[in-house]
Amino acid sequence: MSALTPGTRRALLLRSFAVQGSWNYQTLIGTGFAFVLLPVLRRLHQGDEAALRAAVARHAELFNSHPYLVTVAAGAVARLEDDGVPPETVTRFKNALRGSLGAIGDRLVWQAWRPACALLAIVLLLLGAPWWVAVPAFLLVYNALHLWLRAWGLRVGLRDGLAVGKALREAPFERMGERASDAGAFLAGLAGILAVGDASRGPAEYALGAAALAAGLWLGLRVRLAVWAVLVVVWAVDTLVVATS
Amino acid sequence: MIPEAGALVLLALFGGLVAVDGTSLGQFMLSRPVVAATLAGWIAGSPEHGALLGLMLEAFQLTILPVGAARYPEGGPAAVAAAGAYAGTSHSYSALLVVLIFALALERVGGASVERLRQLNVRLCPPPGRTSVRSGRLERRHLLALGVDFARGTALAGAGTLLLGWVLQEGFFLLPHGTVARLALGAVLAASLGAVFRLFGRDRLPLLAAGAGVGVLVLVLFG
Repeated sequence: MSALTPGTRRALLLRSFAVQGSWNYQTLIGTGFAFVLLPVLRRLHQGDEAALRAAVARHAELFNSHPYLVTVAAGAVARLEDDGVPPETVTRFKNALRGSLGAIGDRLVWQAWRPACALLAIVLLLLGAPWWVAVPAFLLVYNALHLWLRAWGLRVGLRDGLAVGKALREAPFERMGERASDAGAFLAGLAGILAVGDASRGPAEYALGAAALAAGLWLGLRVRLAVWAVLVVVWAVDTLVVATS
Repeated sequence: MIPEAGALVLLALFGGLVAVDGTSLGQFMLSRPVVAATLAGWIAGSPEHGALLGLMLEAFQLTILPVGAARYPEGGPAAVAAAGAYAGTSHSYSALLVVLIFALALERVGGASVERLRQLNVRLCPPPGRTSVRSGRLERRHLLALGVDFARGTALAGAGTLLLGWVLQEGFFLLPHGTVARLALGAVLAASLGAVFRLFGRDRLPLLAAGAGVGVLVLVLFG
């Protein structure tokens, strides 16, 4: 009898939300991955405690994935375990899968989707939208893709097992990332100008804002250090001027 | 300002929630500064203050990517603490500047505490090696790690709100010249938003220019 009942499938999905709960520098999300698989493993090895312990230990080894796409691995591994595939094959499969699940998720979600959605919220606020519009808009748009990825991943993982790589290659992630980056670039330009307009009161201030925007473009990801420096120096100099006058 | 006791407790608990949302549980992005600060501002009585602060902290955070085992500042609990304390003040750019410096420093403290937690997790959930693992024990340890993360976020947000609230209440560090603070804040916000563009690749410069063009149009028509 299959361990992949509607109940265990639901449990896999729900537990996937906590996969990074014990993230650590040795097994990364290994323990979390075993935690996600537990309902399936318990059902498969019902009445055989030694086999259950061995299976849990195998799946608690080093593993990593983007958290939203971990359902692809969890679904596929649950399918393999249910089909009685030898443990060595399952381990090799997990090792082969983990790199691509991390890279796909990082490029699509962290590098494109999340910044684009956050920029949408920033633009809405700068345009004067109330917070109860901007914040829910961000959460709804962002989590639409988030939740779809988790559900899609589990479905294809359970369906395809060892052949899940084909579904990953055929999924439109590359195109989605490109479109999200297009939207993000447009929104970054819009937000930058709105921010300059919001803070400026005259031509000189507009020029200062535009120069800051250009400096940010040039600095790129090093901008955080400059932000720190400007804030602290402005505060320190002003405080000093007041103290000595 | 230091919020009332009930609001302070709620803010601390919300700090715990956003801490676990950041990495351990869900990742629905309640932990993003624009969300966390706005909701914290709402808890403390002024969501508008929270949204303004959240917008700025979000712009600073956007260039940080949580890729692989990267170590990075933690935005959520810091945004909660900063917004919780800032919401009780009357808005001034001078206060906002101090709050932002404090929040960015607290993000660093949060990031360091996440690193410590991850080291602790190695002991809580050690690699199994060749030994067998009891399923109930693994489950309990995993949930314990989640609980510790929640407690970490609660402590960070609670202590941060108290400390910054006290600083603002006493008027320490506040600048007398609001204009200087406003210009500095505008400049760092613009610079941060410009920097975000680099995430999307230089070949999208025409799209950035198109967005900027629409922005200029909006300012001319409605500014």
